[in-house]
Amino acid sequence: MNRQNRGENNKALIEFQTVSKSYKNTLALDKVSFAINKGDVFGYIGPNGAGKTTTIKILVGLIRDYTGDVYIAGKNISKSRQEIYKILGYHPQEAGFQRWRTIDHTLRTFGRLSGLESTHLESKIREVLEFVNLQDVRYKKIIHLSGGMIQKLRLAQTLLNDPQILVLDEPLSGLDPSSRYQVKNLIKNLSQKGITILFSSHILTDIQDIANKIGIVNNGRIIKIGSPDELQSEFHIGNIIEIVYNKGGNPCPNLENINGIERIEIGASNKQFAHLKGDADIDDTIHRILRKITEHKSKMRNFRILTPSLEEVYLKYIEGDIR
Amino acid sequence: MSLKILFLDELKGFYKSKVMIILWVGMPLLSLLFHYIVPDAEGIPISSIVAIIFSSIGGMLASAMLSTSIASEKVRHVYDLFLIRPVRRTNILLAKFFAVYLCLIIATGISLAVGLIIDQLTIGNLPEYVVDQAIESLSISLAAMAISCSIGIFFGVMVSSVPVAAILSVYLGNQLSAISILPTLFIDFIDPIIFSLLICSIVPTIILTISITIFARKQF
Repeated sequence: MNRQNRGENNKALIEFQTVSKSYKNTLALDKVSFAINKGDVFGYIGPNGAGKTTTIKILVGLIRDYTGDVYIAGKNISKSRQEIYKILGYHPQEAGFQRWRTIDHTLRTFGRLSGLESTHLESKIREVLEFVNLQDVRYKKIIHLSGGMIQKLRLAQTLLNDPQILVLDEPLSGLDPSSRYQVKNLIKNLSQKGITILFSSHILTDIQDIANKIGIVNNGRIIKIGSPDELQSEFHIGNIIEIVYNKGGNPCPNLENINGIERIEIGASNKQFAHLKGDADIDDTIHRILRKITEHKSKMRNFRILTPSLEEVYLKYIEGDIR
Repeated sequence: MSLKILFLDELKGFYKSKVMIILWVGMPLLSLLFHYIVPDAEGIPISSIVAIIFSSIGGMLASAMLSTSIASEKVRHVYDLFLIRPVRRTNILLAKFFAVYLCLIIATGISLAVGLIIDQLTIGNLPEYVVDQAIESLSISLAAMAISCSIGIFFGVMVSSVPVAAILSVYLGNQLSAISILPTLFIDFIDPIIFSLLICSIVPTIILTISITIFARKQF
């Protein structure tokens, strides 16, 4: 395939192909391959030291000695750096600012360095400051800003050049609950504008209600990629069926004798949990349970299959239960 | 383009820094003070003494300022946000060097002018030798300070600990900058001005080239 035309031939806006990176004797990334389509919000998740920041630094061009290929909009980033700068916004995990600058001065410099015209710069600075709600502290020195304000400034500088792709490395780390909520909402707003976002975190709850695609990385390898629904439905942790009976009603006895059920757990508030065997035919087992309940004339209020939470799915993958 | 933006920015940052305020105000005051403490100065014009003191103190402070600023910015990943834009790594270092050096040139000029005024007031009409010595001292000072600044850049790039960068640049920066002066003291046929200009061009260029090469290969 003609590499220059990759972006036209498929929808992938970002594409990693067997990318590896070592630091001395440590393999930080091991043949990582994944693709992010235009408009995706890709949650890149893994424990600390899994390889998230290395992946991101390769993508934004801060790490250049790696093996494999990385494409943005069909262009190999090692050969089209100047074009990539224009469409990329990067929120680093820990980058600081020169403390003697004010917020205004910082954004003005980054705006100029990104090639913004002076006439456009002023309105753009005002726009991004309003977006992150820092307009009231525009002329405050960096040294006097709180952690939350610094994080918002990091986000503001990514937006100066109207990027098509936003790369956010742990944008919620180190924030208090209120700032987390605010920054999370800002990211949601950006995703609604159609910007493609790669968003890393080591906390799943940070990304599960924002991302439409999740990549789980551990020990430098991508373990799993899929939508939150796909990840949840792909494997069933225990396959548990919850049965809720009417208040004062009689729970159905002897459900454990049904073929496919491993055990029955009695819960509070007239609940029963039927733990299915690993090889059980779920549809057949449900049918048998319902028939038994009907035969026993137990009055049932609710019946549902408990799906694993993303947290459970994530932990299962990270702990190496499923490889 | 990025060099111009970065240079003007660094200039704005450095000229208001505490170190530069010491040089802007403190050194001319030191010229005046020196005149009152050692009014006679064994016949050496105040302007020459000021230039030598300035090259030593000014060079040392500038060197420490550059090394600590680069080391600290490196550690705090300040350059990440520059390098994801069309900015050459070379320009980041050159902007710092030229900004600090320009501040030093201006500060030296002011202090030397104060020294010459004092000489004018004490000696009367300035004899030719005083002006010659002032020019000579100025050229030696500028050479020494250029070397100090480039050494500051070098240690800033090489070292990640701010205190270590400061100690190395202050100590070694001062020692190495003396090469701009020593040969002129011991070898008669060397013209101090030409020698200073040569040293001022060659040594910092070599040190800066090494620093830039190392900086370009650094992993951020």
